[in-house]
Amino acid sequence: MSAPEPLHPLASVARPGRHGPAGSLTPLHIELPAREIVQVLVRRDRSEDLAAALRRDFALALPGPGRAATGGDGVTAIWIQEGGWYLHASRTGEAALAARVAASCAGLATIDDQSHGRTMLRVSGPRAREILSRGCRLDLHPRAFGPGRATTTMLGHIACLVHQTDETPAYELTVYATLAATFLDWLIETAAEDGVEIG
Amino acid sequence: MTQRHRLATGGHVDRARRLAFRFDGKSFEGHPGDTLASALLANGVRLVGRSFKYHRPRGIFSAGIEEPNALVELREGARREPNTRATVAELFDGLSATSQHRIGSLTFDWMSVNGLLAPWIGAGFYYKTFMWPAAFWERVYEPLIRRAAGLGRASGEPDPDHYGTMHAHCDVLVVGSGAAGLAAARAAGTSGARVILAEQDFLLGGDLLAEPGQEAWRAGMIAALAAMPDLRVLPRTTVFGFYDHGVLGAAERIADHLPEPPPHTPRQRFWTIRAKEVVLATGAHERLIAFPGNDRPGVMLAGAARTYARRHGVRAGETAALFATHDGAYDSVFALAEAGIRISAIVDPRTDSPAMQKARAAGFDVRAGSVVSGTAGRNALHTIEIRAADGRGRGSPCPADLLMISGGWNPAVHLASMSGAKLAWDEGLQAFLPGESAQRERSAGACRGVHGIGPAAADGAAAGRAAAKAAGFAPAAEFALPDAQAADHRPLPLYEVKGSKAFVDIQDDVTADDIRLAHREGFTHVEHAKRYTTHSMGTDQGKTGGIVGAAVLAEARGERLEQVGLPRFRPYAAPLTWGTMAGDAVGAHFQPTRRTALHAVHEAAGAVWMDAGIWKRPGWYPKDGDADLWASIKREARAVRERVGICDVSTLGKITVEGPDAATFLDRVYANTFSTLPIGRARYGLMLREDGLVFDDGTTSRVGPDRFFVTTTTAQAGPVMQHLEFHLATAWRELDVSLASVTDQWAAVAIAGPRARDVVGAIVEDLDVSNEAFPFMAVGECRVAGIPARLFRISFSGELAYEIAMPAGYAARVWQAAMAAGAPHGIEPYGLEALGLLRIEKGHVAGPELNGQTTAQDLGLGRMMKKKGAFIGRAMAQRPGLVDPARPRLVGLRSVDPARQFRPGAHLIARDRASGSDGRLSQGWVTSVTQSVVQPTGWIGLAMLREGEARIGTTMLAANPLMGEETEVRIVSPHMYDPENLRVRS
Repeated sequence: MSAPEPLHPLASVARPGRHGPAGSLTPLHIELPAREIVQVLVRRDRSEDLAAALRRDFALALPGPGRAATGGDGVTAIWIQEGGWYLHASRTGEAALAARVAASCAGLATIDDQSHGRTMLRVSGPRAREILSRGCRLDLHPRAFGPGRATTTMLGHIACLVHQTDETPAYELTVYATLAATFLDWLIETAAEDGVEIG
Repeated sequence: MTQRHRLATGGHVDRARRLAFRFDGKSFEGHPGDTLASALLANGVRLVGRSFKYHRPRGIFSAGIEEPNALVELREGARREPNTRATVAELFDGLSATSQHRIGSLTFDWMSVNGLLAPWIGAGFYYKTFMWPAAFWERVYEPLIRRAAGLGRASGEPDPDHYGTMHAHCDVLVVGSGAAGLAAARAAGTSGARVILAEQDFLLGGDLLAEPGQEAWRAGMIAALAAMPDLRVLPRTTVFGFYDHGVLGAAERIADHLPEPPPHTPRQRFWTIRAKEVVLATGAHERLIAFPGNDRPGVMLAGAARTYARRHGVRAGETAALFATHDGAYDSVFALAEAGIRISAIVDPRTDSPAMQKARAAGFDVRAGSVVSGTAGRNALHTIEIRAADGRGRGSPCPADLLMISGGWNPAVHLASMSGAKLAWDEGLQAFLPGESAQRERSAGACRGVHGIGPAAADGAAAGRAAAKAAGFAPAAEFALPDAQAADHRPLPLYEVKGSKAFVDIQDDVTADDIRLAHREGFTHVEHAKRYTTHSMGTDQGKTGGIVGAAVLAEARGERLEQVGLPRFRPYAAPLTWGTMAGDAVGAHFQPTRRTALHAVHEAAGAVWMDAGIWKRPGWYPKDGDADLWASIKREARAVRERVGICDVSTLGKITVEGPDAATFLDRVYANTFSTLPIGRARYGLMLREDGLVFDDGTTSRVGPDRFFVTTTTAQAGPVMQHLEFHLATAWRELDVSLASVTDQWAAVAIAGPRARDVVGAIVEDLDVSNEAFPFMAVGECRVAGIPARLFRISFSGELAYEIAMPAGYAARVWQAAMAAGAPHGIEPYGLEALGLLRIEKGHVAGPELNGQTTAQDLGLGRMMKKKGAFIGRAMAQRPGLVDPARPRLVGLRSVDPARQFRPGAHLIARDRASGSDGRLSQGWVTSVTQSVVQPTGWIGLAMLREGEARIGTTMLAANPLMGEETEVRIVSPHMYDPENLRVRS
């Protein structure tokens, strides 16, 4: 029997639609993609084996520090720490990606499903960089950051993994699930000046 | 009243539009482009405030942030803001301002009697006079003095506006947009560097705004900057501080020029700017001259009068005189003459100069070798006195309702000084200039003594190019610079014309005599004299007269001004509103809140929330019929003791520890052993800090050969993770162990009580939960309501209990399944308070006992420390102070009168009052208190008590002197409920 669909941590908080002033400004677009997220921490001296396994099974080249990469079958890897990555992909079932990764990397890494423990928000729009800069101490200018770059930093008061996915710009923001509601609240308030579109 | 002092043409005001405003209840009109000060002057308003201490009448003195006098309460109601400088407040339609610091009307202030008392209330008067009786200071003297001396009033209401923050990065930050700043920004911008140009004014240009001949150049520069894609111009933005590592702070006034901020728009924004290179083009503040009566309304800095005439098209007077010590001030005379103001005299202590000759040639009455020795006029100037510079006594009268003064220029070195650059004395300019840079900054233009539009622009362009180059860019195109001759700004060093009421600080009512008094009384260092007299301590921070006070002090010390120096510059370079400092971190956004996956479930159940760190946890769930919160708490606890209860325990820290060395690692970080733990079992673990004190506790389970599931207390989840990571990364790099925080992945509920097995058995699939198959401390994978979950048989309440951990997104479903299965058994949700009640009855330690001061021995957990093998804290725990048998030990307490409350924090003292003074000394303290729901009921608690075990059975007093309480308590074993531990195994 397969598990029923879980409740999204923002299910009772994220009201779809427009927030902030009506007007000609392009709002910040916030989406809540259903992703599975798996934390992979490599065993000592098995980095090359792990990289080979993921290349073989996911057509994925593990990225280095500060970077993210997406493999041939749509799995994205983000470097999070020395010898550690998040792998994430569209949700197909409860712990489905974790099971695939475990099968691929058995004995090579510690695998933890974090699909419930981390919440991803996708934000995009021409003003996205300016809006994030209101709470982000890192330099997100194209000369310093860009598509394929990813780093963990503070947004407002909350630790967040910031991954820029394209030049719109669009960012995937991953936070601890128990802080997702307070994070969304902060994001909406911070972006309200420009307007926010959820959905 | 129409604007009778407004010129017909000229300046940067839009005469086609009218803005209505009110000052002290009277209605006036101004134009866009006005400040409140320029609009008041246009309407002939000259008296704008009363002075700080003597309540002397005061007028508009400057045209910028250096203003000492024209401080007003701006706006009304909750938005009322005191101490707003009228000289920088941008006029808007409907503006309302009130003069402050007066009792009665502005023109007749009852407190001006202080002026008559002035000979007796000089510097230090309050310190010396109101010393006795000491108790009067706080309750009588200080409130009276504050009422007399204070500045404006805050609204006292919550601020209706909100405030934003911004983080910016750039290659070159240019502060100030005068000729030097514009040129620096453009020069740096042409290189392709990322440039930010911050200007505190609402118009760019600085002194260019008073130079109609350079308007085309100003406009051309602004257009060129606007075309640069990576150059950002921030008007209405004051850079207030220069901190370490190229970090500067700035306040952007987004909506202060509007009646109120548009919806969703912050009023102000706090900018944190990280710059590779900084160009400071902050200009200079004109220097006042101390002479008797230099504070009278109508006395104004020369450059300010020129700015009002040329920038705002306003005549600041009808008949003006100039008192200056250098040629740089003479353009003011020409500017005012062009504006149709009669010039009655030019007073200059020098004998001759090019500017004096030019003025004479133009037909002005130049009084060489003279000084202004006094002023007259009740609430506004009408006459000045002029005498020979080397003369004494009163001079000869000369009509003037406007006296322009200039004793030189004070370079605005505040930011350079804050960056760590030492100041260097320039004898010619009689000014302190920025010395060698300590950070990657450079000054350009008047802030480093380069005066005049042409020279400042050239200096700025050079600084901009140098900054871009230093940031790794190659400056490209040249651009035209203004070709303007600069007057000689080197003054004759005349700081003071001696006499009564010669102010060195007009805002704080500090006279030259006060400085000499401070010196006589031993406050001879410039920092001490500043604090003794309050010189330079107002909102203007001595921008116009700080150096004048230092010069008076230098003369008193018989030293050169260079040796005396200036008080240290510190943030903020200009006043900053508290709202901007707080930013968006106010109210509910003061800190983030953490919500468990069951938040909505608790909310629906009517939980009363409690804060546990940043977590929101249900405190209790009130029901109709509960008399008070204790009724709810005890009802929930009784449900657990008698039937079954369910509690959200998701906030506990959870860590995956995996790797071939995981068991070895846990043996080293825990005081007890984990390598012997079988798969499918949990064990209570105790962690010590490196210093041997208890760090944290929790249950850790073995879920695979090399995989453990560690839990921590809610409070220490983060610190424990850091502790584990730190030791793996430093001390034990040879261990192959991985750590993953899974606190958020797993939600967990405790199901506790004699009927817990009935409930758990009904919802758990794929696992035999009988006592035989799944005994106390068993762990197993299972499914609950179709959901993959993990079952633990652990207990914090002392009852038969289970914890179910499940992926967080399923927590609500599991909770609902348990509630449904438990309904026939009378299940009730219980909150943090009942959880605490149950663990205190059982004698389990928690945060109040694990307070970073207690050892395992103190807590009765000494036996957990393994005899063999090293672990963190082992060695330090053997220190004599930590193994001293006299240390307070954990005990239980029962109120002798069960109905009599005692409180955590109370101290335990001997009951016998006759036992001498020692008996009244604290023997220990109460850590946790609750009301027991099992017999015998009543107030119980836990405590740390000296010779605790020996005292069991005796009676002591729990004393709380703060609340005047003393409660008799019996010392008992901490294990007040089921000491044989039978129920958890049943």
